[in-house]
Amino acid sequence: MQFKCNQTLPERAIHIAIKGPGGKCQRGDGTACFIANNVATTPGDMTERGCTYAGCRGVVGGPVKDAIQLTHGPIGCAFFSWGYRPHLADSDFHMKYTFVTDMNETNIVFGGEKKLLQSIIEANAEFPDAKAVFVYNTCSTALIGDDGRDVAKQAEAIIGKPVVFFECEGFRGVSQSLGHHIGNETIFRQLVGSVEPEGDFSRSINIIGDYNIKNDIRTFEYLFEALGLRIIARFTGNVSVDDLKIMHKAALNIVHCQRSATYIADMMKEKYGTPYINVTLWGIKNMSQALRNTAAFFGLEARAEEVIAHEIARIQPAIDAYRQRLQGKRVFIYQGGPRTWHWIELLRELGMETETAATTFGHTDDYEKIFRQIAEGALVIDNPNVPEIEEILTRRRPDLFISGNKERYLAYKLGVPFVNGHTYDTGPYAGFVGMVNFARDIDKALHAPVWNLLHQHARPAPADRHATHGFEEVES
Amino acid sequence: MTSCLTMQERAVAINPTRSCAPIGAMLANYGIHGAITINHGSQGCATYPRHQMARHFREPVEVATTSLTEKTTVYGGKQNLIAALKNIWERFHPTMIMVCSTCLSETIGDDIPAIIDEFLEKHPEVTIPILSVKTPSYIGNHTTGFDNFLKEIALNLPDRRKKKGETNGKINIIPGWVNPGDIRELKHVLREMGLHGLWITDYSETLDGGYYHPRPHFPRGGTTVEELRSSSKSLATIALQRHIGGEAARIYERRYNVPAHVLTMPIGLKNTDAFVNTLVEITDHTIPEALEVERARLLDALVDTHMYTTGLRVALYGDPDLLEGLVGLIAEMGMTPAYILTAADNRPWGERMVELTEELGVESEIILKGDLHELHKRIKQKPVDLLIGHSKGKFIAEAEKIPLVRVGFPVEDRFGYHRRSIVGYNGAIALVDEITNTIFERRATTIVSNTLIETGVEGPTDIPIPLRNGAARHP
Repeated sequence: MQFKCNQTLPERAIHIAIKGPGGKCQRGDGTACFIANNVATTPGDMTERGCTYAGCRGVVGGPVKDAIQLTHGPIGCAFFSWGYRPHLADSDFHMKYTFVTDMNETNIVFGGEKKLLQSIIEANAEFPDAKAVFVYNTCSTALIGDDGRDVAKQAEAIIGKPVVFFECEGFRGVSQSLGHHIGNETIFRQLVGSVEPEGDFSRSINIIGDYNIKNDIRTFEYLFEALGLRIIARFTGNVSVDDLKIMHKAALNIVHCQRSATYIADMMKEKYGTPYINVTLWGIKNMSQALRNTAAFFGLEARAEEVIAHEIARIQPAIDAYRQRLQGKRVFIYQGGPRTWHWIELLRELGMETETAATTFGHTDDYEKIFRQIAEGALVIDNPNVPEIEEILTRRRPDLFISGNKERYLAYKLGVPFVNGHTYDTGPYAGFVGMVNFARDIDKALHAPVWNLLHQHARPAPADRHATHGFEEVES
Repeated sequence: MTSCLTMQERAVAINPTRSCAPIGAMLANYGIHGAITINHGSQGCATYPRHQMARHFREPVEVATTSLTEKTTVYGGKQNLIAALKNIWERFHPTMIMVCSTCLSETIGDDIPAIIDEFLEKHPEVTIPILSVKTPSYIGNHTTGFDNFLKEIALNLPDRRKKKGETNGKINIIPGWVNPGDIRELKHVLREMGLHGLWITDYSETLDGGYYHPRPHFPRGGTTVEELRSSSKSLATIALQRHIGGEAARIYERRYNVPAHVLTMPIGLKNTDAFVNTLVEITDHTIPEALEVERARLLDALVDTHMYTTGLRVALYGDPDLLEGLVGLIAEMGMTPAYILTAADNRPWGERMVELTEELGVESEIILKGDLHELHKRIKQKPVDLLIGHSKGKFIAEAEKIPLVRVGFPVEDRFGYHRRSIVGYNGAIALVDEITNTIFERRATTIVSNTLIETGVEGPTDIPIPLRNGAARHP
């Protein structure tokens, strides 16, 4: 597919591909090379990408429920990353509070180290129950050369608890993705294995790469526990600092988000020999397979089959009912990374086909998993920008767009049904029972009467002095 | 009645009430039809504000970024900015481009105006204005970005070739950081007065748009660049927030001889009167019947509700201009603005607020450089009946079981607040109703028809009703 909006932006062609006959990659530049990914964004292309700080503070570090979340930088980074992502836990300190060293011009000129140290001490004094202080570095404090690592060490000695310093300056890397890596690496280095607990950990697991969006863990943790397994730590949804310290004791790591968290599984494998398996905890087939693979590791296969059969029996009538209503719908999934490929199978189980698949920061392994699963003729696009998304929505006219809140209102303005895959409309969506929520939300989105109103009764914008101003018809 | 001024001393900010400069410039630029923002910095500096604005306005919010990376911190961001300008121009053909800076581009020292000049030299086909606005996050806050944007507009866009006495017959209105609903209410006031406003700027429709098929290339609405060019020929400029647009109004006066009127945000009776009287003063138009009726209706609403509101203690937080306007209506409702907290480090404003609250007959603690954690601590020490501010105060409201009336930015946990108005007579009426109903909902759980009126609304704080305040106005 040639994008009209990319006529002046030929460099975007290598980020766009069709799955051709025999599964061959037909790239936008006419070659069979694989889709380009994880490279710098074209400046000014209206990307949806965020920064390394966002990936570290927002995704990996932010969900840790009993750490003081302190941003070392100006106010904005802390304000915007505060309380918008529902990475819930059984307590809400991490959602309710954000801390920031609030760098002003004087600090930028004379350095912010003193203010950082004082901030850590003050924050700890205000919230003495917190188990650690997570300090996130930003663009400005990195550029002026603050030695945050050293300050963190000093502070640790003063307050007597871990001060974890993340070098996640926004300008590093090409997307949020590097922030995930830094988050993993820093937590591993500074916390994991710092306590050696006694006890039997032979039947224990960590769930790696799940952030408990809208309480996702409630849909699958009890299933692993029903196998007779103990969950030590979640990385990082509903996790405490103490859990992170002992997560190296687990017998097995279950890796869910394989973009943002495989790093720590790899590091644990290398240092502690902990094996890991990759799983998808969305959809019937994938969730069942996750339980089977986990059970196989511990020799609990029979128990797994019982659990799976019981769960499927619970939801199958609802899923069947929804499938009848959703059958044949064509979907455009655009997620940060792995969710795009995690959901292709789930949507098929609901009778739907992914016709366009995109990610914000996926790497080659993500796109390989997408290509393996999508049907021939499907469009794959890396780091799509606003005009491209608009063109997909208007020219390919998917029945459903699954994306995030930034894109929601664009879809609505174009009359395309939308489900929020980032933070869910009314989740959780994971596990067996969560899939019913997902199906229900898709059903609501597709069958709301509002679309008939829009498509049958909407009128063109009243012709006023603005209507022709720079107007360029969007082809539909 | 003596108010006092205090300054929060903590180094660490906990739950700030404010965000940073670029979002202010981006918001203001949305009020220009067909204008596009390029944020020169890390991708997060564009994406975070976009997300925040989408949560408040529930509209598509599109801002470009120059996607600076590690390499640019060494070699500078010039190539990225030039590429972004070219790409935005070629793909969108906007009517104007606004480039706002960030911590990153300011700290590495990119000379944005020089880069823009170089771009324009290489691309003579680009004839639209390209504006540079300084918005590093470490100077001021989100209001600073808005204000800097307005100053750049005032300095760069208006036509300097003005014949003596030449006028476009319009009045420049700089509403400041308000909601689309507020701008529509202000427009209503001008329309009723028979006047034409030139809005600097107007995002009443671009950020609260309708559903049209086909979707217009640019959102409908907004002030055009041509209108802004002619703003030097207006009769006067009225800035409705002192810190956002006040300086721009004075630039109009100095550079283009357009008289400046810098007013308090028109919230409540007297503040709205001041706005309307200024319009009268500028134009000799009389106050029309429709506005007189609205004004009388506001007085009626104030008298109908005063038994529920008088004597209640209220905590206000947010931006200086909003607070300055709001405190007028709060006093008119007989309530005490016990805490007035802002993040700004602005002592002159604080001193003026001390005077203002004393004039209004209320006793307040005005807290500068404050954050919501500080406010929470004050409220724990001495409670209030009501919180008024943006959504981030909900954590205090939940913890202390104090109702929150949502005004300001952002309101991200409720729907449609961007459409509402709190300015003008109608805005004040709506806010009086909202505040009173919030109190009803909290105090009176069983409502049988009109008996609510007899239930009474008692404050938990058993402070004496400040009769001096009431007596002063009703001899």
